Amino acid sequence: MKRTPRKQAKASLGELERAVMDVLWELPDGQDVTVREVHTTLSSTRDVAYTTVMTVMDRLARKELVVQQKSGRAYRYHPATSRAEMTADMMRGTLSTLGSGERGPALVAFVEEASAEDVEALRQALAALGD
Amino acid sequence: MITPFVLGLLAVALAGPVPALMARWRGLHHTPFVAMLLWQSVALAGVLAAVGAGLSLFTHTTGTSDLTWRTGPITVLTVLITVTVVGRLLLSGHLVGTSLRVVRRQQRQELDLLAEWRGRVRVVEHDVPVAYCVPSVTEPRVVVSDATLTRLDEGQLNAVFAHERAHLTARHDLVLEAFTVLHRAFPRWVSSDAALREVRLLAEILADRAALRVAPAKDLGGALLAMATGRTPEGAMGASTVDLVERVRLLGELRPRPAQTVLIALLGWAVLVLPTGLVVAPWLTAL
Repeated sequence: MKRTPRKQAKASLGELERAVMDVLWELPDGQDVTVREVHTTLSSTRDVAYTTVMTVMDRLARKELVVQQKSGRAYRYHPATSRAEMTADMMRGTLSTLGSGERGPALVAFVEEASAEDVEALRQALAALGD
Repeated sequence: MITPFVLGLLAVALAGPVPALMARWRGLHHTPFVAMLLWQSVALAGVLAAVGAGLSLFTHTTGTSDLTWRTGPITVLTVLITVTVVGRLLLSGHLVGTSLRVVRRQQRQELDLLAEWRGRVRVVEHDVPVAYCVPSVTEPRVVVSDATLTRLDEGQLNAVFAHERAHLTARHDLVLEAFTVLHRAFPRWVSSDAALREVRLLAEILADRAALRVAPAKDLGGALLAMATGRTPEGAMGASTVDLVERVRLLGELRPRPAQTVLIALLGWAVLVLPTGLVVAPWLTAL
């Protein structure tokens, strides 16, 4: 039963990453923030230590999801891409993974790719099913 | 000298003509569960026969006499074949396994950041209707795009979710992974592409059948059509035509086939057990 606490910690770390990204994605274009500002925002809804937020933002910077810039004595952060761009990137990757099957069955799709002829043949098969 | 010969012949048959014939036998789609078992038995028996042929020839040549100019080359050859078969399988298993884990880990991380929880599924903002699952032992995920939610009605969505959950609970990904490993190890001169393709289709048929337990056929069929319509990129290959249409055709063919089920289950059992009992056991006891 030793694994349970570790797993919980890991899950909450992922959840914190998301919370931090949500704060950063809410920023107006071109604006950046410090760890302190993110911590203040997060503290209004949850109980989280300043150092934890710092660790999470450091991880996000290493994953290149946020950009870290030194400004005076503090680091300032802004998201590497917008939420919409990142979603589009992810879905582009997902669709090409599903379409090619090149990398094996990493993901299993309900319907992979379909050409116009596929759709027409499918329509006919469905009509036959209805009879 | 008979053991290596029989096993070698069996290996060749199970690698080439048998899967090629099975891929053409569309009746297998009517009993998807035992058909999947048969495919696995045939693949496993083929690999075991190939390895067994090499090993038995090796023990035969080394057991009868000392290495001579005649037995030496044969011994070396059989060892080479056995090592190649096992080595390629291990390497392919490693490569496929690693690449799957990388893709899935990345998917999970991105989904955690980007997808909204809605009930038991993750929803991604995207205008292409898509539904898929990310298999995992501890944290399997069913993912849909919000275009899927707007395009499909409630009955159709239930069918899609039931279909994806069936993949996850039955761990179809493990069977697909095994056949991908086989295909990657022996892409040519073995009917591994037909095997992989058929096993993929059988996994879909099984998940479709699970979905039919909670949703009527018209909802599942409607969902298939709606998703296929939205997933029509320009210049897409028509590779999945047969499979999609075959899936819809099978929605109307759910009559149980007990005789065929028993026959295929017996075939699957026989292909694994008979070579062991008739060929390998006598050889091993004679050692």
